Amino acid sequence: MLWQKGWLETRFRLLFTLGLTAFVLSVQHSAHIASAPTPHATAAVLSARMHANEVILSAMTFANAISLIVVCAMLAGAGIATQPSFQAAKGVHGSSLFTLSLPVSRLRLLATRAAIGWLECVAEIALLCVGTWLVSPLLRQMATRTEMAEYAVTLVACVSTLYFLSVLLATFLDDQWRTWGTMIAAVAFYQISHHASLPASVDIIQAIGKNSPIIAHTVPWSAMVFSVVLAAALFFAALKVAQSREY
Amino acid sequence: MTDLIIETSQLTKSFKSKQALRGLDLRVPAGSIFGFLGRNGAGKTTTIKTLMGLLHSDSGTAEVFGIPVADADRAIEIRRRIGFVTEDKELYPYMTVEQIIAFTRPFFPKWRTDLERRYLDMFDLPPNGRIPCLSKGMRSKLMLLLAISRGADLLILDEPTDGLDPAAVEDVLRELVAIAASSETTMFFSSHQLSEVDRIADHIGIIDRGKMIVTGSLDDLKANYQRLQIVLSDSAQPPAHWPEGVESVHQEGRVVSLLASHNTDAIAAQAQSIPGATVERFPVTLKEIFLEHVRSN
Repeated sequence: MLWQKGWLETRFRLLFTLGLTAFVLSVQHSAHIASAPTPHATAAVLSARMHANEVILSAMTFANAISLIVVCAMLAGAGIATQPSFQAAKGVHGSSLFTLSLPVSRLRLLATRAAIGWLECVAEIALLCVGTWLVSPLLRQMATRTEMAEYAVTLVACVSTLYFLSVLLATFLDDQWRTWGTMIAAVAFYQISHHASLPASVDIIQAIGKNSPIIAHTVPWSAMVFSVVLAAALFFAALKVAQSREY
Repeated sequence: MTDLIIETSQLTKSFKSKQALRGLDLRVPAGSIFGFLGRNGAGKTTTIKTLMGLLHSDSGTAEVFGIPVADADRAIEIRRRIGFVTEDKELYPYMTVEQIIAFTRPFFPKWRTDLERRYLDMFDLPPNGRIPCLSKGMRSKLMLLLAISRGADLLILDEPTDGLDPAAVEDVLRELVAIAASSETTMFFSSHQLSEVDRIADHIGIIDRGKMIVTGSLDDLKANYQRLQIVLSDSAQPPAHWPEGVESVHQEGRVVSLLASHNTDAIAAQAQSIPGATVERFPVTLKEIFLEHVRSN
């Protein structure tokens, strides 16, 4: 029943993020139509276009990453054993008191709610990858189906860190600040990745960017494992906060 | 010795600079209807939240069904046996009446479908009605239905009749008494309505500033507590010291009014020993007991 409750809580957010993903895909589709080669293009033009295509593909993967960050921020957290802190300060906890009166551990409440958001995130990633593959002839030229599938798995692993960071923030921040907190964390990850020269084994951002299977043509296993371990640590921290919270 | 369903000992809880509970000792006997009284901010809701594991006490112990509430794993068993009505009566805004009943039912193995149907009819709750569209009174009724239908051994009700119209209050009080009588369910409820507590409770506890100041069987309290009215003769003066048991003394002119919590025969004997004094003894109401203690505290 907790799964059903979680679904009822998040279904409109999921719908919104699916719409957002569809919008990103439609923009990508328009960009590909505009950049399609003309029949009389010279070798120099084709070479320049090839370089431009690589830039577009990089930009596209980055756009995908950005939309996934938004997805993470949107899906995680709503109703994760918490209430808006400004309300909680006034002693208003909404329906949380009813939920917490059920014979269920806070571990189960948090895990169920986090799992629903994570599965919705996986669904988003699947839609994004399949959609991008269908709308982008460029992608189909530069990567194989297997690499695209590997890219989807890489996205799931690497976005999990950000998702569980959002879950952690949800245990002590209200929804508005949690969303902003996740966005700021994403930007911080990006900045660190681009300015700190991180080793590829821990560079989660580049694992879904230039080191991803569709650009580097190898699976960034070490970064994926690092991300999953980090996500697990963040969930454990979220659990500790949820268990110690008072209502 | 009576079995205790709820027992706290020297329970304390502070919020920043405010001490909400100051060594609370609470004992709720099995099968009782326990009215928990106190002014706003006296510590009633803090006590209830501590019993439900929603707040962590600073010191002292609290047990429900003999299980420490601080033990998070075993507290699940406590909650399985409790029906709870929260103070603010908030439920999931994205569900209908039917959906929230269907959601709650599987968590409680002793769920009473007969009671669920009975209260759906009695409270006139629309099964397809969305929760945000229900009035506060209707939400209170729905919450009572969800608490009572759990087939719980203990009902913890925080202001259960808040927001109900007088007719609904009547129905609810009657049902609560019937449930307690038929199923040996223990009921622990807080209320500002002294008349409600007086009508249905068999035990009471009065909390003030985080401490229990009066507790016991309501019949015993009413039997022990008496008001003595002494009319003095013109020259007579009341004694400077009264025997043990006098809770308060008020004098207006020649009329002295005493509230005694026990030892009333000895107090009355001393009053009658005042030359020319006439003494009358009156029973006291729960309201008088409550007001006297809360004011003097």
